Amino acid sequence: MARSERRSRRSSPQFRSAGLLAAAALLGGGAGGAQQPDISRIDIGVVDARFAIPACVPRAPGEASAEACRTVRTVLRNDLEFPRLFQFVPESLVAGLPAGNPDAPSFTDWQGIGAKYLVVTRADVVKDELTVELRVHFVDSGQTILARRYTGRADNPRIFAHQASDDIMTLTQYRGVARTRIAFTSDRDSKGGRLAKELYIVDYDGHNPRQVTVNGSLNLLPAWTPDGRALAYVSYRQGTPLVFLAHIFEGRSTANLTGERANSQAFAPVFSPDGQRIAYASNRSGNMDIWVANADGGSPRRLTTTAASDTAPCWSPTGQEIAFTSSRAGTPQIYLMDAEGLNVRRLTTVGNYNDAPAWNPSRQHSEIAYTSRLEAGGFDIAVVDLASRQVRQVTQGRGSCEYPSWAPNGRHLVFSCERGKKWDITVSDRDGRSVRTLATGPGNNVQPDWGP
Amino acid sequence: MKRHAFALVLLAAALAACGGPPRPPVLTATPGGEDASEAPSSREVEQPVDPGPDIQALRDDVAAGEDFPVSDPSGEGGPLADIHFEYDRATLADEARAILERHALWLQSRREARVTIEGHCDERGTTEYNLALGEQRARAALDYLMSLGVAGSRLRTVSYGKERPLDPASNELAWAKNRRARFAVSR
Repeated sequence: MARSERRSRRSSPQFRSAGLLAAAALLGGGAGGAQQPDISRIDIGVVDARFAIPACVPRAPGEASAEACRTVRTVLRNDLEFPRLFQFVPESLVAGLPAGNPDAPSFTDWQGIGAKYLVVTRADVVKDELTVELRVHFVDSGQTILARRYTGRADNPRIFAHQASDDIMTLTQYRGVARTRIAFTSDRDSKGGRLAKELYIVDYDGHNPRQVTVNGSLNLLPAWTPDGRALAYVSYRQGTPLVFLAHIFEGRSTANLTGERANSQAFAPVFSPDGQRIAYASNRSGNMDIWVANADGGSPRRLTTTAASDTAPCWSPTGQEIAFTSSRAGTPQIYLMDAEGLNVRRLTTVGNYNDAPAWNPSRQHSEIAYTSRLEAGGFDIAVVDLASRQVRQVTQGRGSCEYPSWAPNGRHLVFSCERGKKWDITVSDRDGRSVRTLATGPGNNVQPDWGP
Repeated sequence: MKRHAFALVLLAAALAACGGPPRPPVLTATPGGEDASEAPSSREVEQPVDPGPDIQALRDDVAAGEDFPVSDPSGEGGPLADIHFEYDRATLADEARAILERHALWLQSRREARVTIEGHCDERGTTEYNLALGEQRARAALDYLMSLGVAGSRLRTVSYGKERPLDPASNELAWAKNRRARFAVSR
């Protein structure tokens, strides 16, 4: 290659002149290269991640573009606040700066109000297509560290903001969840005296709920496939509870995925992290046990063999272990075993009712969330650290809370809480801070599963 | 009768164990196989009258995004950060290598992007000397990017010598800023 050429050129003295050497000596040349951080990244904890997000400026006239712009900016701001990683220049200071040209910001102005990163958005709607431009500038140098243009349908501007937020998160050491969706079960479609429970999916922020099942039966316990294209669930539409698999963007579902026969029922399906296997509970053997099959339901094999009820399986992040609920000690407790059913050992020792384990999927935190009766009468979400076995309580004083599920980056939890007489989907950080109820709609909304 | 009731309670218990509205305590043991004769009749009773569709198809909304080249008025915009050099040197410091490694990753995920690597110098020294030094700096960056797997056909070098400083001042701070390679992305 050219490497050897260049090396000889660089070290050869023939380019040097006596005058230059003298000048270098005078000026004390050889000043070391300045220590420059890599400004193309935002390393949380290392840099001052203070954002300014001015109003979005439409590229086209008319209300459609203006409306889309407002939505994009508001949703993007909410998405960036959610992970609690960034600071934000107060709105009053941002609004106080003169409008200027969004394509050529006056960086000294932004520097003056303390912004380190400037997030510029523009939008325009042409017919039924929306285009959004995002730019992130490192204010001190003015350099653009991210410039992306998004196109899609104009009737869903929120998803543009979610995509933009997750793209900004790629500059940090964390993965964003703004594009993720939560599946859950709702009884809002019950008619007359007939109870119906249908599956819904909703954006992670509670917006845009959409009904998946429409069969008027009981549909429970949704579980996402790792690629986010399908949901396994339990449905009574054929009379007894069986596992179904719904390909939600294709409108087709597979009935009785696990091949139960006349007298057996299946519950609590959950896919392994690599999507190759499905664990579930079945009473095919005569009592409720944990079973594992291939993702298409083939080669089912039984993992637990005691006479007690074993249910609610969940996979470890590596797919090599399974946590589950068992009543073999007399009360429901969480147990661990490997994916072959060997090395069964009890995990929970605090409380006499522990159920519905969910294993944190991230590599940073080795912990399992579960439903626990810690105070008299009600349930709460607890998390046990697998190394120290220390238990921390995530919910407190919010009525009864159950059925935790982790966000894909392991930094947040979703569960269901009863306040008054209504159950609603609720989200919090993994340490229990920032608890918020998602307004997903009427009825009782339970059994959430946080998808990819 | 008793067994049938037992099966129903087991069902409720199983539902309860999986999470949902408040429920009765979980039962422990159940005799095996005794419910076989009960199940078919309960299935016939609950068979739905009008099957209908099971689920409805949902719209798969996507906001397809791609990077676009930025031309800031200062001419300094771009998604790839500068790397800097010591006085009169074209060797890559550890920070520069780290920055170039990230650029290589960035380029790997954007197959159609091409980069013009500009070599710049501070104002000391003659025009021709600095044009050569600028070229050496750009080449150093290009060679390292190629060693990281970036195709040479996507890269080219341009030397500006001392002709286009980022900071026109005459002090150490400005000179340090100007001793750089800059990465202009296009497609």
